[in-house]
Amino acid sequence: MSDTQWQDMLNLVELLEAGEYEHAEVSVGDVQVRLSKTAPLSSPSGAPQVPAAPEPASAVGPSAPPVPDAAATSPALASPPEPEGTEVTAPLLGVFYRSPSPGADPFVQPGDPVTADTTIGIIEVMKMMNPLPAGVDGVLAGFAVEDTAGVEYGQVIARITEGADS
Amino acid sequence: MRAQHPVVLVANRGEIAVRVIEAAHRIGATAVLAVSHADRASLGATSADKVLVVGPAQAAQSYLRAETIAQAAVQAGADVVHPGYGFLSEQPELAEMLEDEGIAFAGPRPETLRAVGDKSSARDAAVAASVPVAAAENIEDPTDAEATLVAGQSVGFPLLVKAVHGGGGRGIRLATTTEELLDLVPQAASEAQAAFGNGAVFLERYYGSARHVEVQVFGDGEGGAMVFGDRDCSVQRRHQKLVEECPAPGLSDARREVLHSASRSLVTALRYRGAGTVEFMVDTQSEDVIFLEMNARIQVEHPVTEEAFGVDLVAAQLRLALGRDPELPQVPPVPESCAMEVRVNAEDPTLGFVPRPGTITSVRWPHGPGIRVDSHLYDGYRFPPFYDSLMGKLIVRARTRDAVVDSLASAIIRTHIDGVPTTLPVHSWILAQDAFRTGGAPTTWFEPAWEAHTEQEAVA
Repeated sequence: MSDTQWQDMLNLVELLEAGEYEHAEVSVGDVQVRLSKTAPLSSPSGAPQVPAAPEPASAVGPSAPPVPDAAATSPALASPPEPEGTEVTAPLLGVFYRSPSPGADPFVQPGDPVTADTTIGIIEVMKMMNPLPAGVDGVLAGFAVEDTAGVEYGQVIARITEGADS
Repeated sequence: MRAQHPVVLVANRGEIAVRVIEAAHRIGATAVLAVSHADRASLGATSADKVLVVGPAQAAQSYLRAETIAQAAVQAGADVVHPGYGFLSEQPELAEMLEDEGIAFAGPRPETLRAVGDKSSARDAAVAASVPVAAAENIEDPTDAEATLVAGQSVGFPLLVKAVHGGGGRGIRLATTTEELLDLVPQAASEAQAAFGNGAVFLERYYGSARHVEVQVFGDGEGGAMVFGDRDCSVQRRHQKLVEECPAPGLSDARREVLHSASRSLVTALRYRGAGTVEFMVDTQSEDVIFLEMNARIQVEHPVTEEAFGVDLVAAQLRLALGRDPELPQVPPVPESCAMEVRVNAEDPTLGFVPRPGTITSVRWPHGPGIRVDSHLYDGYRFPPFYDSLMGKLIVRARTRDAVVDSLASAIIRTHIDGVPTTLPVHSWILAQDAFRTGGAPTTWFEPAWEAHTEQEAVA
């Protein structure tokens, strides 16, 4: 996507931000943006989110020079050695839990088939439990974060590989 | 018990995030910055010791979510949260959630935020603390000419006849004489009845030529109050401040005393905690001084006060919140230096100040004695379209106001921001105007003057 297109997209998002809507879906060429003011954002099946595959923010020393926002600039360049499968990313900052309550069985295990609606975990924000759906049909390949870990918005939590007959 | 090396969660973005991170480092704290997805490459993100991405670009799902910010504070192991200005800075919800978690909030108590956040309760608090408010009288019976006259004389002329249930400027009439008042009150009442289904009207003193003067206060939370002078912020466009200075020029000692002592008593009455600003309207036609509102946060223009008095208000906020001595000195009502700030926005002044985000290809700020820059710009920064257009503040300090104006004008010329249009040319123009150089221009000065100037330019 060119700079101009990206700017147009940002302008559009800004316009929509002021409007009254709950969900909006915008396609420009082969890029799709989904906006929701209420629901947690999860990847639409197949299509990558924009910006796709956000790099988790890391601790940067005070003296580190500013770096250009690669992920926001060109979604295609975001993740260098792409691991297999669709990423399930955290829709908000919080604490990730694999089980509905302490000691209970995890919602799902690696290798389990999942559908887009399957809850694979919970993200807790100030005692509020937000179910995390798989977002796509497939097989849960594995988790990228530990149970009870603090996660940031956009952080990869799990991967779903496709091709399972579910 | 607070840690020796406390952790500060900075819950804001832009230049103020950078400013708070600096203050955190200054007091020996670790700074964790809560950012939106769009701000991961911001200057604040690179100067913080740690970054937490709290949500997507939209502020409603990141910077404005109290529970997410509180959660981030918990995950960061924060001892204190500094909210900056705007966003959640004056929302009691965040302050309450943090209180429940045993995390300090660098701002007033939740109940203070509630008390001053609502116009009518703020007015009540001001009246209770003997702070001057705008004279107003209710009209019980619009057909009772005698009572209307008494009310009009009590309020004073010129005055506004306003519908109690009106809004958006509708149902407002200006009366300059008793004759006009007697004509207008029944008219306004029947119009209000027709428009709003309620004919109740009241009279309020009108100030057609007033200045915006505010007092910087700092409370210890137990009734102790410190005053750090005043600021004049009368150069405004659509209620957005463009230029701010400390001290407010041309105030008589008596007037200044009224402003400062009223502010001090409000802080004491509220048992106000931390930095705050009491805003007033100062009439240029009379000696009247009118309370507008109290801002329960650090303000954009706080650097002029810091420069004029040589204090660090943000570090003081953090220290107080951490239970330490804020390390603020007693200062005289008028500082020994003058300081002035211009807000540099990514806006196109030739197109009605429309925001123009984009890539900052290069940025060069001026250097020299008494020059301070609070900004989050860097070469190649993609200034995002999601938030306000403030790119930075250029602040200059000198011994006299004339010297400040000259030094600032020169500093503006030496400022180069490429890639987006800026409001710098507007500031150059303002600093060259006699009405501004004299000092004490009212809030009604800038807009018509700038309009006339741009029309002239268009003709030429």
